Amino acid sequence: MNQLRWDPVLEEWVAYAAHRQDRTFLPPAEYCPLCPTRPGGFPTEVPRERYEIAVFENKFPSFTRDAPEPEEGGGPLTPTRPGRGVCEVVCYTDDHEATLATLTEGRIRNLVEVWADRYAALGSLDFVDYVFVFENKGEAIGVTLHHPHGQIYGYPFIPPRPKKELDSARSYRKTNEGRCLHCDLLAGEHEDGRRVIFKGDHFTAFIPFYARYPYEVHLYARRCIPSITDLGNGERRDLARTLKRLLTGYDRLFGFSLPYVMVMHQSPTDGGDYAGTAHFHIEFYPPNRTARKLKYLAGSEAGAGAFVMDALPEQTAETLRAAVEEAQSLRGPG
Amino acid sequence: MTFDTEYLTKEDGRYIILYTFDNDEPGEESDKEEPEA
Repeated sequence: MNQLRWDPVLEEWVAYAAHRQDRTFLPPAEYCPLCPTRPGGFPTEVPRERYEIAVFENKFPSFTRDAPEPEEGGGPLTPTRPGRGVCEVVCYTDDHEATLATLTEGRIRNLVEVWADRYAALGSLDFVDYVFVFENKGEAIGVTLHHPHGQIYGYPFIPPRPKKELDSARSYRKTNEGRCLHCDLLAGEHEDGRRVIFKGDHFTAFIPFYARYPYEVHLYARRCIPSITDLGNGERRDLARTLKRLLTGYDRLFGFSLPYVMVMHQSPTDGGDYAGTAHFHIEFYPPNRTARKLKYLAGSEAGAGAFVMDALPEQTAETLRAAVEEAQSLRGPG
Repeated sequence: MTFDTEYLTKEDGRYIILYTFDNDEPGEESDKEEPEA
């Protein structure tokens, strides 16, 4: 079952969940397990004829609440741990054909509320150190179900990438009179302006100076807050508005529903103090370099951990900004 | 804004939470001012 194995070379936990090999793979729409259960139809994951937003425990979880001690004990260099955690599926809507981009701002606003609610609920569990909200969208990313949905992992450790980000922010804060690394990065992007896609009332969307994907966008809260639960009503509404604006622009970019990975980075829930270190933001990694070409993680990226890019963020930001503006003009004001 | 939740337990013991909302479109809720960065 679920177990963690320690990689002493990279000093990272690796999660194993062999049962996930059997998970449902791209079923036809009439057998989608995330659709509502229709009268006379097969029973799906959601036992209702309609629903707004549904959250449930993943049938094929990478972590479980009751993971037993691993049978494989490992060794002094390579200890193991139970894969104890939580994996939830968040169904954005009962409409199989929708995407996050096609939902109304009001529906996305509701989803923001659900994300905040689950962050608080999972973060309160004593065995969850990090609540990770994410979405894998599109077959190019490797999704197994097309129904619009995201996921939430409650990790029993702080995952390597957020940990490195937090370590960098902590180090910066120490040597820069308590300043927030993310606030200063955002101020720099505002001042430069070339990579800013747009500014909402409370959030800014930009392609970072050091983007690893051509159309990678970071959506930063302008107020220095550690988590989604710290957002006020106006900020939550603006988050929904900026998500809608960005995603419709993404879909306008190449004329099709753009695949992406969406991740939220925020404060761990391990009881530590992350004020001024964790700064709530969302990152998007679309794999497309062009309409037909994808960015693959090949030798340098996968083996050396060094990304090599063939497009400058200043150039791709200009293209994406135009697509966002076109999509906005087609949608009309609001 | 407010929402209601309905908790159900599946046959295999997994939980499911159904969220329902009292608003569906923006503009229906009162807003509060947040400080600008």
